[in-house]
Amino acid sequence: MNEPATRQQPTSEPSQVATADGHGTVYGRQLVKSFGHRTVLQDVDLDIESGEICCLIGPSGSGKSTLLRCVNGLEKVDSGILRVNGEDLGYEETDTQYRPLSKKQVAAQRTQIGMVFQHFNLFPNMTALNNVMSGLVLVKRVRKQAAAEQARSLLAQVGLDGHENHYPSALSGGQQQRVAIARALAMDPSVMLFDEPTSALDPELVGEVLGVMQQLAEKGMTMLVATHEMGFAREVADSLMFMCAGRTVEYGDAREVLSNPREQRTQQFLEKVL
Amino acid sequence: MWVLCVLVFLAIAYSLVTNPRYEWDVVAEYFTAETVIDGVLLTIMLTFVTMFLGTVLGILIAVLRSSPVMPVRVLAGSYISFFRGTPVLVQLIFWFNVAALYPDISIGIPFTDIGSEVDVNALMTPIVAATVGLTLNQAAYMAEIVRGGFNSVPKGQLESADALGMSEWTKLRKVIIPQSMPTVIPATGNQLIGQFKETSLVSVLGVADLLQSVQLIYSRTYETIPLLIVAALWYLLMTLALGYPQSLIEKHYSKGTRAGTPVPLDPALAGAEEGR
Repeated sequence: MNEPATRQQPTSEPSQVATADGHGTVYGRQLVKSFGHRTVLQDVDLDIESGEICCLIGPSGSGKSTLLRCVNGLEKVDSGILRVNGEDLGYEETDTQYRPLSKKQVAAQRTQIGMVFQHFNLFPNMTALNNVMSGLVLVKRVRKQAAAEQARSLLAQVGLDGHENHYPSALSGGQQQRVAIARALAMDPSVMLFDEPTSALDPELVGEVLGVMQQLAEKGMTMLVATHEMGFAREVADSLMFMCAGRTVEYGDAREVLSNPREQRTQQFLEKVL
Repeated sequence: MWVLCVLVFLAIAYSLVTNPRYEWDVVAEYFTAETVIDGVLLTIMLTFVTMFLGTVLGILIAVLRSSPVMPVRVLAGSYISFFRGTPVLVQLIFWFNVAALYPDISIGIPFTDIGSEVDVNALMTPIVAATVGLTLNQAAYMAEIVRGGFNSVPKGQLESADALGMSEWTKLRKVIIPQSMPTVIPATGNQLIGQFKETSLVSVLGVADLLQSVQLIYSRTYETIPLLIVAALWYLLMTLALGYPQSLIEKHYSKGTRAGTPVPLDPALAGAEEGR
């Protein structure tokens, strides 16, 4: 199942994608991913422009999370083309072949892609400030003082000034998730991925996290958000993909899909959640 | 219940004090005797040396045990099963007699004359056999403890580190090791205490550790019980002395993971935090 992604000729897209100009874009064609015999992604296409907000919706197990995890390389696609920021993710094209990148090169690509997890995944042995600084200090080798300064302003940006020295265990879920967003932002990514960022939160804490995400959207960040928050999708998203059983059922303008779903399955799903 | 406990305690104390055959004066006399102190020092040295080498080797085996290469995993697994599945006493005697199996070891470059030959019989003195035996055995236990610690780190933590673009080495050092410490430290402390007592087995090889020292004395004077009390008191003293630093280290590594740890909370904000 884990043979390298086979190169497939895209049907409609330009075959030569400029590497320099793809900043903040995600481009996927016929993405396939399976775990053992279970296919979790089947021929998924994705086209996200710089600054676009794309929401992924669909029932649990529809492949939203897997798609996100493929976009930052936590999972490898079995086949298909996946380019993030204009670069083939995890692969390198030479004159003669198409070969996997080294771990180091994959790590370098990942610094360009921010990821926010459903369960926050903050480092429990570090304070909020050190969590935000971790990428800067441990990966980008920024000096501690400069990193701390940057981390402070990011924490202030997500409304957590004064919480710098708190350990994650002393923060509420909403606060932890905002620290996690700040931690991802610290790497100065060009694409941000959110994997059901509010699903693990108490209802009254959802708003503070969505607020931060909305701010981020207004600043022009490219965002790919797996979510069950239809209100957020309606207000903030540019495009929307409804997934079911690993396939794209409907993909298009967010308001259009939400108000006039063409597919029956989309209609059924929306009736239940709205 | 209280009364019963106090009664039992008093009965033991009464017997300890009034039974003359405990010979407490002999205990006091030999407690700080030179040979006993030498034995204590050797026991301490043997414990820490084998514990240190065993831990280093154990970490290595733990890493090999989770290697993506199957034969490497099997090899590490077999090592662990073998050394955990056979008695330490047998292992110690085996290493002492290993010369019967491999009389000479030659170290050098194959097919050349460079190198030298070592007579194993001369090399395997009791102290070397004791160190090798205890180290190899300890490594097997430490490997399992370290592996358990690594496995206790939630998968999300590793994904978080990967998503930030951390290298494998940074991830191990800054994410995996600090977070596996709360499970590894207490277990290692117990191993260390166990190792202190386990070193007494080397007395069968004739190593002059604490037990062997008192045995040498009582084989001469026949004051068996008082001298065994001397040894027991020293072992007890040393294991108790280890408990305190262990609790300090545990406290250090549980930072931020449990309620009631020294989190510098701003009192003004503390109230707001409780309401989550």
